[in-house]
Amino acid sequence: MTPEIVSFIGSAFMVLGAFIIATAAIGLIKLPDVYTRTSAVGTAAGLGVSFMIIGVVVLDYSTLNLIKGIIAIIAQLITSAIGSFMLARASYMTGGKPVETTVPDELADQS
Amino acid sequence: MSTFTVVVVLSLLALAVVLAAIRVWKGPSSGNSAVAGDLIFFVFIGTVAVLGVVFEIDSVMDIILISALLGFLSVLSLARWMQGGKR
Repeated sequence: MTPEIVSFIGSAFMVLGAFIIATAAIGLIKLPDVYTRTSAVGTAAGLGVSFMIIGVVVLDYSTLNLIKGIIAIIAQLITSAIGSFMLARASYMTGGKPVETTVPDELADQS
Repeated sequence: MSTFTVVVVLSLLALAVVLAAIRVWKGPSSGNSAVAGDLIFFVFIGTVAVLGVVFEIDSVMDIILISALLGFLSVLSLARWMQGGKR
């Protein structure tokens, strides 16, 4: 592939990742309660950072960078999910009520 | 990357960090602020990626790797603090 096509593909991945992160931030403002906000950040930001890592690997390619990028993407997807889960759990245990359209609230029934 | 692409990416990231800062400011609970702080950290990783490519820094992939591996510890400690040390 010519260098122009490679540069275009890498730039497209970077723009896509930044757009997904901006979408997560808009969701952080518009969504009604802490659990939906946690969902927006945990999924969208993890995916956005993964796309930006792919963009860096494409733009600055070497075998070592490819290995580091794969490890970083796997770690990013796992740890963003763990962080969102822990935050939502802590919010629920400290008495944060979900929005009223959350039916059924199965955790409230258990305890 | 062209200059236009860099401007677009950095503008989107700046929009994200401004909206997250508004959420940190308004709250209303500490969980909301912690989620917004988590997003600001992700924006930091993205900014490091863009600037590392623009200025051709060799160690940018190492910084991203360490950030992705250890960045969730801050959110984890915030969650433990919100629960007051209980599990």
